[in-house]
Amino acid sequence: MSDTKPRTDGGATTTARLRRTLDRMTVEDAGLYVVLLFAALFYIVPIESGLVTSFKTGTAIIETAPFAPPGPSGFTFEKWQTAIDALLRGMGNSLLYAVPATVISAIVGSITAYGLTIPTWKKSYKAVVLMLIIAGIFIPYQAVLVPLTQFWSQWAQLDQVLSFVWALGVSNDYAGIVELVITHVAYGIPICTLLFRTYYKTMSEEMIESARLDGATLRRVYRRIVLPLSGPMFAVVLIYQFTQIWNDLLFTLVLVSTESSPAAPVVLILAGLGTSLEGQDFALRMAGAFFAALPTLAVYIFFGEEFAEGVAA
Amino acid sequence: MATLELDSITKTFQDGDEEIVAVDDVSMSIDDGEFLVVVGPSGCGKSTTLRMVAGLETITAGTLSIDDRVVNDVKSQDRDIAMVFQSYALYPHMSVRQNMSFGLEESTDLPDEEINRLVSETGEMLGISNLLDRRPSDLSGGQQQRVALGRAIVRDPEVFLMDEPLSNLDAKLRAEMRTELQRLQNDLGVTTVYVTHDQTEAMTMGDRIAILDGGELQQIASPLKCYHEPANQFVASFLGEPSMNFFDVTLDGNRLVGDVFDYPVADEVRANLGQTTDLVLGIRPEAIELVERKSDAHEFEMTVDVVEPMGDENTVYLHFDPDADPDVAETLVATIDGFTRVSEGDSVVARIPEDAIHVFDRLTGEALHNRSMEDAADQVDLV
Repeated sequence: MSDTKPRTDGGATTTARLRRTLDRMTVEDAGLYVVLLFAALFYIVPIESGLVTSFKTGTAIIETAPFAPPGPSGFTFEKWQTAIDALLRGMGNSLLYAVPATVISAIVGSITAYGLTIPTWKKSYKAVVLMLIIAGIFIPYQAVLVPLTQFWSQWAQLDQVLSFVWALGVSNDYAGIVELVITHVAYGIPICTLLFRTYYKTMSEEMIESARLDGATLRRVYRRIVLPLSGPMFAVVLIYQFTQIWNDLLFTLVLVSTESSPAAPVVLILAGLGTSLEGQDFALRMAGAFFAALPTLAVYIFFGEEFAEGVAA
Repeated sequence: MATLELDSITKTFQDGDEEIVAVDDVSMSIDDGEFLVVVGPSGCGKSTTLRMVAGLETITAGTLSIDDRVVNDVKSQDRDIAMVFQSYALYPHMSVRQNMSFGLEESTDLPDEEINRLVSETGEMLGISNLLDRRPSDLSGGQQQRVALGRAIVRDPEVFLMDEPLSNLDAKLRAEMRTELQRLQNDLGVTTVYVTHDQTEAMTMGDRIAILDGGELQQIASPLKCYHEPANQFVASFLGEPSMNFFDVTLDGNRLVGDVFDYPVADEVRANLGQTTDLVLGIRPEAIELVERKSDAHEFEMTVDVVEPMGDENTVYLHFDPDADPDVAETLVATIDGFTRVSEGDSVVARIPEDAIHVFDRLTGEALHNRSMEDAADQVDLV
């Protein structure tokens, strides 16, 4: 008796509270919740469908609805196994260019932005340099494909320059990876510069002046004041650049081209994964897609807090 | 420690096709160990002047020398000056200790132990020893202000520059820091240029004050001299609260003729005025006395319009004509003893003592006749 009594009380108050909330709810509130519910479903259903599909056997895919979980008989890890086996070497190759390209473009962008913001030099010169850099953001990838291949095949033949590396037993296909690093750095500098510049504009001018008066040179001000305070913006730029470079297919197609190459990045292998003459293996494609997306997810999780801070600033 | 010399310093900014003169031909020399307060309304060029001394703005024309060395083209970091900013400008990612060490690390070759010792010493002097390991964001405004000061002091520079360092503090703390800053500057004996828009700070802190308006230097002298012997009408109106009363008058023989009153002047005053006839008569509110009966041509029958009791004193607003519209009538502001009972609508007799009047040229604003500082001092003695 004594045990059940408080529970009924608790139930009563919960019901009462629920009733009060419902009483106060207007049509607008209800409408808002309905819209939010649909928005949530809109985003979640494709991901959920993909995830459950990746664990289904071939027959389960045909017999169950795309978003329904597989039954105990239709459940399998086999597709993930296959996907990981196929993609693992591609993951390594992708990291090999995505990480350096991301880090280098962020650092170069930060230094460029510092040079364009903090030091006092003629405004009219600054504007021209800034304009040239910003214009880079608006050049579409497609427009540079031909010049890019020409550049790497005729003007800068890395294959020959790096011959001492191939002598060590590394496949000369890896020249494509180096080309990807340089190309992505060049393409990333404008947006990185713009992001950092916006951030540096908000830094206290008096603080920088104070550091100059304290005897610090321009380089020291960057090293000891500006760089340590750039953390949140580095998070934004690293996440943005990493995702961008990791997911890019166009440059990899042009510069590495074949999925059979030992230097093939994950996106190239993923593109052909699970397609054959017999038709699409949906489960395998889904498992591959999720596996290939893991690094970008990891980056968001690691830098999430700083990212939020940087976006707010 | 050093002397600081500004010789015809000018600064112009380009705004589109227009050229804006921010500082116009300002010359002043600051002695070794002197505390100079630069004061003026906003936009008068005082901060720009300070920033030129700091090397944060280029000098358009003129020469700036520290200890007889011309430093126009010397970079900020090589001028051996320390500056305290209004926003404090502390480095948010560093502890207080790191904030204070930064300057020594960047500008000297001192070993770490020596830097640590200096920082601890300065921290003790300013009473912030217990804060050395905290971050600026964990400190109150007053504490941040002390750290900013400490950061400047620890470097032992040739010249201190301060740009409205107290204006972000509340009134009570500001008054305390005012006294403390003076004491510190006295103890350290470092040449200091202090910029403010607050006339209390100007009057109380400096050995001398320099008053700027519209980019031009109006007067540079001791606070009392500027107060009692202003160079022109601007200085007279800028210093003092409530500010000096001004009446447009015309010289007619030995009389100053205004719209609503005549004021006879003695020959000694008359002699100072020369041929100028369009004048402004000035009188400080505290120089005005309320008397029993009108017995002299320097006394006027007036009506009390408003009384503002301040406790120790009353500020009263008087009108010459009891029937005049109070919005447009000429008002005389007087500061009188707090125990004198006056109320709105009372008829009183106000005495404008001749030894306390100032006369300015209405066209140029230049002071033609001032009360002498000795007279002013005598009066204080009598009270």
